[in-house]
Amino acid sequence: MKPLQKYLLKRVAAYIVTLYGAVTAVFFLFRLIPGNPIEAFIGQIMATQFTQAELARKLVEQYKAEFGLEGDLFTQYVNYMRQLLRGNFGVSLYGFPRSAQELIFQSLPWTIGLLGLSAVISWFFGVVLGALTAWKRESKVGAVLAGLAVVFSQIPYYIIAVTLVLVFSYMLGWLPATGAYNPSLSPGLNIQFILSVIKYGLLPALSLVLTQAFGWFLSTRYLTISLLGEDFLVYAEAKGIKQSRLFRRYVFRNILLPQTTGLGISLGFMIGGQIVLETIFAYPGMGYLFSRALGMLDYNLISGILILQSFVVLTANLILDLVYPLIDPRVKYHE
Amino acid sequence: MSRVRNSSKIIVSLKRVIGILGKNNKLKIGSSIFLALLVIGYISPFINRLRLGDKRPDALAVGRRWEQPSIKFPLGTDDYGRDIFGMLLIGTMYSLSIGLLAGAIATLIAVTIGFISGYKGGITDHVLRTFTDTLMVVPLWPIYMVIATYTRKLPLETVAILLGIFSWPGAARVIRAQVLSLRERAFVKLAKLNMLNDLEIVFTELLPNVAPYIVIGFINSAMGAIFAETGLRLIGIGPPLLPTLGYLLSITIGVGMLSVRPYVVAAVVAVLSLIFVSLNLINIGLEEEFNPRLKKVTGL
Repeated sequence: MKPLQKYLLKRVAAYIVTLYGAVTAVFFLFRLIPGNPIEAFIGQIMATQFTQAELARKLVEQYKAEFGLEGDLFTQYVNYMRQLLRGNFGVSLYGFPRSAQELIFQSLPWTIGLLGLSAVISWFFGVVLGALTAWKRESKVGAVLAGLAVVFSQIPYYIIAVTLVLVFSYMLGWLPATGAYNPSLSPGLNIQFILSVIKYGLLPALSLVLTQAFGWFLSTRYLTISLLGEDFLVYAEAKGIKQSRLFRRYVFRNILLPQTTGLGISLGFMIGGQIVLETIFAYPGMGYLFSRALGMLDYNLISGILILQSFVVLTANLILDLVYPLIDPRVKYHE
Repeated sequence: MSRVRNSSKIIVSLKRVIGILGKNNKLKIGSSIFLALLVIGYISPFINRLRLGDKRPDALAVGRRWEQPSIKFPLGTDDYGRDIFGMLLIGTMYSLSIGLLAGAIATLIAVTIGFISGYKGGITDHVLRTFTDTLMVVPLWPIYMVIATYTRKLPLETVAILLGIFSWPGAARVIRAQVLSLRERAFVKLAKLNMLNDLEIVFTELLPNVAPYIVIGFINSAMGAIFAETGLRLIGIGPPLLPTLGYLLSITIGVGMLSVRPYVVAAVVAVLSLIFVSLNLINIGLEEEFNPRLKKVTGL
C-alpha cells in the first residue's frame, strides 16, 4: 500500500473506533446515575389521572417502550444503537412527546449563531491585530493591546458577562439582560425580528469576543515574534522583497496555518453550547437545553446532545488531519 | 555530603527566585495582589469574629433583612439577613482554597505522568500521551454538571479533588516536553555516566530545571479549578453549604442586587477578577523569565 492510502485507512479507522467508544461511554455513563426519571414521570401522571392498577401497569410498559427502556441494560443499548444508526435519538422527557433530535435542531441555530459568530469575529480581530502589531514591533498600539490582553484574556467570560449586564442593562438600560429576541415578535425572516435578535445577542456575544479575541491576539503575537528571527525572512528581506509582500506572503501565511487549525477545533467544541453563558442570558441554545435535560435526567436528550458534540468534534479533527497536508506541504502523511 | 550540597542548592534557588521577583514587574504586581488576597482570605474568620461575634456571616438573620450598608455591615444584608461583606471575605478564602488544593492535586498527577512519559519514552510514553490527549478533548462541563447535580453536600476537599483530577492534562503535556528535551542534554548524560540511578537523576538534575514549568502548570490548574467552580455555582449548581465567591455572586444576582444594589455585585466581580488577573500576571511573568522570547510578546 502507498503511504497515503495507509495513512487514510489508519486515520479513518481510528475515527470510527473513537466515535463508537464515545457513544458507548455516553450511553452507559448517564444510565448508571441513580434515580429513575421515567417512574417519577409516570407516577406523576398516574397520581392525577389513573387509579386502576391494571391500567397503570399497561401505561408503564407503553412508556418504557416509547423511551427505549425495555429489558436489561444491554438490550436497551442494542436498541439505542439501532435507533441511532437511523438518526433517531429517541423521545425526550423534557419536551415530551417531541423527539430529542427535534429539540436539538431547534436549539442548534441559536448556539451556532451566537457562539459561531463570536468565535469567528474574535479570531479575525485577534489574529490580524496580533500579527500586524508584532510585525510593526515599535508600535505603541501593540504594547497597549498586549497589556490589555494580559488582563482580559484570563478573566472568565461569565464575569465579563455579569459586568456587561450590570452596566448596559441595569445602569444604562440600553440592552436587554436576558432572552434571544423580543418575545412580542414572532420569529421569521423580517427586518424587525433580525434587528431584535442582534440587539439581544450583543451582550452575550461581546462577553465571548472580549476574552477570546485577546486570547487569539496573544497567541498570534507570540507565533509572529518567534517567526521574525528566522533565516528565510532575513534572506527574503535581503533579496529586496517589499515589506508589505514580506508580511503577507512570508509571515502571515505561516501564522494562518496553526491559527486556522485552532479555529477549527474551537468551532467543533462550540456545538455543545456555552452552558454558563446561555444560562445567564436565558439564551435558548444547546447549553441551556443541556442543563434543562440534566435537571430532569432526560437520558435521550442528554445522550443526544453529547453524542452530537462528540461526533462534530471528532469529525472536525478528522477533516483537519486529512486536509492539513494539502495546506502545508511540509506535513507528511506517514508518521 | 550530598545533603549539604542540596541545601546550598535550595538557598541559591531561593535567592534566584527573590531576585527574579524584584526584577519583573508582572511578577511583582501579580504576586503582591495574590498575597494580599490570600492574607485577607485566611484571616477573614478572625475578622468576622471581631465583627459578628460567634455568628457566621452566611447564617440566616445575622442582621435584619435588606439592611442598608453601615459600619457593621459595609455591604448590607440580603433577603435572609446574611452579611454580604463577611461572605465576600470568607468566599475569597473558600474559592482560593479550592483553587490551591485542586491545583496541588492536578500538579501532582501532571508531574508524575509528565516525568514518567518524558523520561521513559517508548511504549509507556505512547500510552500515557494518548491518555492525556484523550482527556484533553473530553467535554468536562457536562461531567462536572452531572457530578454536581447528583452528589449533594460535598465538602470542600472532595470538590477540589474532583476538579483536580480533571485539570492536569495541560500541565502534564508541558512538563513532558521539557523532560524530553532535558533528557538529551549533556549534564543528564554525564549524570548517567556517574552511575546515578533514575530517581536521583529525576530529583537532582531534572526537577530543578523543570520547576518553573511546574509552577506555571500549578497556577493554570488552580485557575481552571476556580473558573469551573465559580461558573457552576453561578448557575446554581453545586454543594449549597460551600459559600464560595461563585455562590455569593449567584445569590446576590438571584435576589435582584443587579438593580437594587449594583455595587454589591460589582464588589464580588472585582474580587473574582483580581484573583484571575493576579494569577495570570504571575504566570506570564514566570514564562517571560524562563522563556526570554516571550518577553517581546507582552514586554511593557
